[in-house]
Amino acid sequence: MVRQGKLLEVQDLQKNYGKKNNITKALNGVSFDVLPGEFLGIMGPSGSGKTTLLNCIATIIKPTSGRVLLHGKNISAFDSKDLAEYRGSRIGFLFQDFELLDNLTGQENILLPLSIHGVDFAKARAKLDELAGFLEITDILHKFPSQMSGGQKQRVAAARCFITDPDIVLADEPTGALDTRSARTLMNKLEGMNRTSGRTILMVSHDPNAASFCSRILFIQDGVIFHELRRKHDETREKFYERILQVLAQLGGGSANVL
Amino acid sequence: MFSKLIYRNAKRSRKENLIYFATLVIAIASFYIILSLGRQDVILFLKEFESDSIDKLLAQMPIVYLFALFLLFFLILFANRYQLNRRSKEFGLYLLLGMRKKRLVLQLLAEGFITSILALIAGLLIGGFLAEIISLTVSKLVGQGIIGHQISLSAGAIFFTIIGFLSIQFIALAILGGRLFKQEVHQLLYEQMDKKQDMGHFTGNVLTLLAGAVFLGVAYWVALYRFTDIAGLLLFVAVALGSLGTVLFMRGFGKLLGLLASLSKNKSTKGLHTFTVRQFQENVANRSTSVAVTSILITLSIILIADGASTFIGLESVFARSSSVYDFTVNGDSQKIEQFLASEKMEPYVEDLNLLKIGRMKYKDERGENGIPLSLVDWSALREQMIMALPDNYKEQVLSGEIQSYSFSSENPEALNLFGVLETDTTAPYLIPESSYNGLLKAIGKKTLNLHSDEIALYFNPDFMPMDNLESMPVLDHILEKAAKEGKSLMSIHDQAVYIHPSIPMRGLVADRSVQIFSAFIVPDHMFEQLMNTETYVAYWNFRIPQKLQDQEGLLKPMMEARDLLKASGFTFESYLQNFGRKLFYVVAGSYATLYMGFLFLIIACTVLALQFLTQVKQTGQRYVTLSMLGAKRNQMKKSIHRQVLLTFLLPVSLACVSGAVGIRAMIAFVMIHIDDKASLYPIALASACIVIVILGIYGVAVARSADHELDKLRWKPNIE
Repeated sequence: MVRQGKLLEVQDLQKNYGKKNNITKALNGVSFDVLPGEFLGIMGPSGSGKTTLLNCIATIIKPTSGRVLLHGKNISAFDSKDLAEYRGSRIGFLFQDFELLDNLTGQENILLPLSIHGVDFAKARAKLDELAGFLEITDILHKFPSQMSGGQKQRVAAARCFITDPDIVLADEPTGALDTRSARTLMNKLEGMNRTSGRTILMVSHDPNAASFCSRILFIQDGVIFHELRRKHDETREKFYERILQVLAQLGGGSANVL
Repeated sequence: MFSKLIYRNAKRSRKENLIYFATLVIAIASFYIILSLGRQDVILFLKEFESDSIDKLLAQMPIVYLFALFLLFFLILFANRYQLNRRSKEFGLYLLLGMRKKRLVLQLLAEGFITSILALIAGLLIGGFLAEIISLTVSKLVGQGIIGHQISLSAGAIFFTIIGFLSIQFIALAILGGRLFKQEVHQLLYEQMDKKQDMGHFTGNVLTLLAGAVFLGVAYWVALYRFTDIAGLLLFVAVALGSLGTVLFMRGFGKLLGLLASLSKNKSTKGLHTFTVRQFQENVANRSTSVAVTSILITLSIILIADGASTFIGLESVFARSSSVYDFTVNGDSQKIEQFLASEKMEPYVEDLNLLKIGRMKYKDERGENGIPLSLVDWSALREQMIMALPDNYKEQVLSGEIQSYSFSSENPEALNLFGVLETDTTAPYLIPESSYNGLLKAIGKKTLNLHSDEIALYFNPDFMPMDNLESMPVLDHILEKAAKEGKSLMSIHDQAVYIHPSIPMRGLVADRSVQIFSAFIVPDHMFEQLMNTETYVAYWNFRIPQKLQDQEGLLKPMMEARDLLKASGFTFESYLQNFGRKLFYVVAGSYATLYMGFLFLIIACTVLALQFLTQVKQTGQRYVTLSMLGAKRNQMKKSIHRQVLLTFLLPVSLACVSGAVGIRAMIAFVMIHIDDKASLYPIALASACIVIVILGIYGVAVARSADHELDKLRWKPNIE
């Protein structure tokens, strides 16, 4: 059941840590929707709850209350078996430190989600070639992660994430461990995936530069959504970047809290 | 505060790492078992008859102990290294918080001490219990209760166990602590699996694998066909080549495993197959040497256990009294002995009393050329017949005079053994009067001889001449029967034709070995008096413990009592106990040390494999988190881990099985393993294989469970605690 084209619905999400007398509210009622084909960024200072939010969506942690609907299904209430079905196939992950298995070659890493979900490799062959071509990693498919640069690793991770045609890709600071050039290349590729293949991406980032590739950005602070920015249709990335910086400067009542 | 930390850490180490603690306990138990050997019932029992050999055996025990200490040192070192690796993050944290390295090492030693004390308590209890069980089992198997049971607890053994264990534990911890000193805090905090994934070049790996296989092949060939060449030096060549081959094989194989992952395209998309193979490869390729060493250890343990088991199975032959009849043989003044044996205190122990007279036949009065005395016996007719009965190849050798000497073995055809014995003995054969042998026949419930005055019977000593059947000798009988039908005499003594009685039941003439002859002529009493060379005459009183007494008290107890009485009497005597004790000694001495070393090797190999595997799981734990993010289910991952465990154990074990089989084969071929008939080899091989498999299985299951546990403990929620 697809509700009016909404891919992901986050409804009044709350997450508390700690016990009775000492409760920290990491998320205090966060609601938003993600539309198919969107490239949504989530920004916020440390401790704002953005990682908690991503983990709730990623089904890594269970929210205290509220719902996360993917295609209208409440995935936050799934048990671990159903979750396993979702992870890797319907939801793709991109991590700050890549999380490639360093004893598997690039290609083996990319194909891993397929084999976990029992997908026939023959069908994925073309897909692999296409992804590898697009992400410029064809040459390093048979190398081990230790023989790759950081940027290459993250692009291999991206290929692993897209190989299963997930409904949504959750990226947690994907440029966090990359130098500026590699970060830009990666973001270009992600943007390309989003534009050309209509991939939906939800990215958490500190980095306004990376965030400027998004089509919409949610700013959260102290567990609530604080602001929202949309990239205008004809807005350049530079302009959007300026606007992001402005918002960040206001966050937390000044620049002291930012970055 | 500090002491609390030490205590808590030590407690946590034991709880979290059962394998580590179990390793310590096993090491201690095995020290104790070897050290308390002197207190084992069997050894105490044997000391009474074979005290020299037992002393020699016990004198060698310190060497075994030192060797065990040496081997277990590495095991302890390995176990501690694993344990410290697990905790490196914690140490990094202590250092980060400002603890001085010296203090950290001291703390480690203190923790080690607490753990050691507890391991000592557990190990000594288990060791004591095992020693007790072994003692009881062996004495039960051996003596059916006559070997008095004594608690095998030995203070000296406990003392040396404690000293030995504490010293290796502290040396190991000191070495590892020293290593800690050298590491940077960062290294400790972020310790990880070597990131090297250098799998080398394909051709290089193939060459390594091939070289390994060739070395192994040569080693096998040497072991099977050239084992004893160059004074056994080739044995070392075989071992060296085999070890080198194993190392190379493992190295090449480990690196080539990647092929398996990439070649099998069909499988590679099924579940975690690729991951499993890669994990396995990492474990083997990065540590090929230690995998090879475990394989070599398992090989040795298979061979040692098979050898020890086969020796121990020889225990049956200790009890089998197939050819032995008498329990005691007394030698000395014939009349005094007879009186003593009939005395009131001795009488209850005596049955089937029989005087064995024995002496050699005289020579002819005239001498031959060169002054060689001439035999009274002319057995040329019999000799001819026997040569005819020989298998063709031997027949030629005999006729051409090629054979100069004879060896007697169960491998030879009966005719050859017979011929050899007669050829060597008949110049001046031993003579036994008919009446003496009739006494023996009566004792075993057989028909007595009733020789005609021109008739003799041939006696062959079953202790020295192997025979399939003690009751009759078909080849000889065939010849005799034929001659009887034709009415021919095959032999003449003193120029008188004599006829040979068909073969009779053969038994040992005395209790142990005061009479060591291969053969004798059993002759009518008058012929004995007439032909016997009086200078060679000896007489022995033989008797048995009454059957009734045996039924009531078992054989050994009355035998020991009778032995004590005889000892007090001052007569020269021998008893079946000596025979029994000697055989038992060979079995016990032969099997104890080999079985001990066999199990020790096996346990060391298993522990190394186990700890190595668990280290890998620990170090690569994050990979499982990643897998779960990619959608792998928990049981999928556990299945992968279990397969990894299986492969990790299977690889060294399968190579070890091949090498072990070759080793056992070689030992059988070169008569180091004492197997009378080849058929009994199979149950032995099977039994030792089962023991090895069971131990491996226990370890495998323990490792799999620990790995599961490790998996459950992983932080499944990254970035959030």
